[in-house]
Amino acid sequence: MYRKPTRDESTLINRALDKWGAFEFFKGRLLMMKENASKIVCLMPAELEVITRMQPFLAGLVIGELKKQFVPSMAGADLFARSRKRNKFYIIVNENAEKLVLYGRDIMGESIVEASDTLGENELVIVLNSRLEAIGIGRTRFAGRSLLQKGRVTVTTLSDAGYYLREEG
Amino acid sequence: MTLIFSESVESVDLAARYGYDRWLVGRFLEYVPGVEDFLEKMERPPTQYIRVNTLKTSRKELETRLSSKGFELKRTSIPEVLAVEKAPIATGATNEYLFGHYYIQDLSSCMAVDALDISKDQAVLDVAAAPGGKTTFIAQKMENTGSIIALEPNERRARAMSFNLARCGVYNACILRRDGMHAEKLQMKFDRVLLDAPCSCEGVIAKDATRKTSHTPQDVDYCAARQDKLIEAAAMMVKSGGILVYSTCSFAPEENEIVVDRLLQKLGNVAVEPLKYGSSGLTRFGDMKFDNQLMNTRRLYPHVHDTTGFFIAKLRVS
Repeated sequence: MYRKPTRDESTLINRALDKWGAFEFFKGRLLMMKENASKIVCLMPAELEVITRMQPFLAGLVIGELKKQFVPSMAGADLFARSRKRNKFYIIVNENAEKLVLYGRDIMGESIVEASDTLGENELVIVLNSRLEAIGIGRTRFAGRSLLQKGRVTVTTLSDAGYYLREEG
Repeated sequence: MTLIFSESVESVDLAARYGYDRWLVGRFLEYVPGVEDFLEKMERPPTQYIRVNTLKTSRKELETRLSSKGFELKRTSIPEVLAVEKAPIATGATNEYLFGHYYIQDLSSCMAVDALDISKDQAVLDVAAAPGGKTTFIAQKMENTGSIIALEPNERRARAMSFNLARCGVYNACILRRDGMHAEKLQMKFDRVLLDAPCSCEGVIAKDATRKTSHTPQDVDYCAARQDKLIEAAAMMVKSGGILVYSTCSFAPEENEIVVDRLLQKLGNVAVEPLKYGSSGLTRFGDMKFDNQLMNTRRLYPHVHDTTGFFIAKLRVS
């Protein structure tokens, strides 16, 4: 079932969009909630709102899921990364790690090319390749400079762009 | 009823040489120009095409990136579509594919979308839409504005389609699990309707050689009966002045010209508009003669147009 977000949900979503530097991009655009076992956030043009009453299999683009906080989907991460307002919640990995992330593997400290010193432990981050394209979503295992330590997994990969192929196949 | 022609020395010889059922080659001799060249072409893998997803990248950027990986690409008559002349790795295994920068899609299929003459902010109905190749092309032509309703009754196919829409960054589409035969239940009218009808797939024998002998006249009959119902249902969904594009990947006139001809006879408010690609549709088959407008429909032949076998009709509903 699709519905408009409640006020509390809107607040959580807007906070998340702000966090990912994508608030401006989404300003004035329609976000709808799809609620089953989980709460999915979908971006769609206003014209589709009326169709959501027909109980579609899917309407618009799933940009993330609302749990205790908003967790972006890969499609959401891609849109956020394209909004060109990168901030500390994005990390960049090297080419070798890019291949591994696309197979769902976690990220070793030495393969992180750029990460903010101010990132905390257990933070959600969008993983970018050297071209600044979203390749995955991760969670930090360490804070600040410790993210770059060699020989250890420092970011857990939660989802990745290779998922489309693995799931589809 | 699928027309079967008397066997000739030529049909028997060609059927034996290329491993087809005789009835099928006998029919090809009636509606495929240069049948031997055609049968020869069907022995080779078809040219692969990719369609640039302009929602995520530009043609130039994609050409540069894939060229740096050793791909050789050639531009085609549709600006967004590139022919893959050399692929050092599988075309579906690049990062650019994963990121949704392109979609593997035959040129003929893109021509069907091109025939819709889509512009931004329109309402579009895509009947029998999965796996979503045409839907994603429509979305990029609309720059993610307006609305696309994609009908796909099968859950597994709808799910596969949802992955393709997400990969390509499409957000102006929705998937309804409905059969196109009952499209009228939507109680809506659309500026553009695309019906790429389920068909007997005669045009894709190069991809699936088992069709040389597994294909039967009953398949054609079955598909044609469904197509008659689908095209009528689809035509009823078009706003006055809007366009319905009907396409199949079959050569069989029973699934193409005859279906369109029946629609023209049944509804008085449909006209066939000309298209810029392909060869003219048939205006006669066996002892049947069709409306002259059928000349405006288009047939795409693998050995002539280097696409999969395809049929496209652009119909204006007034």
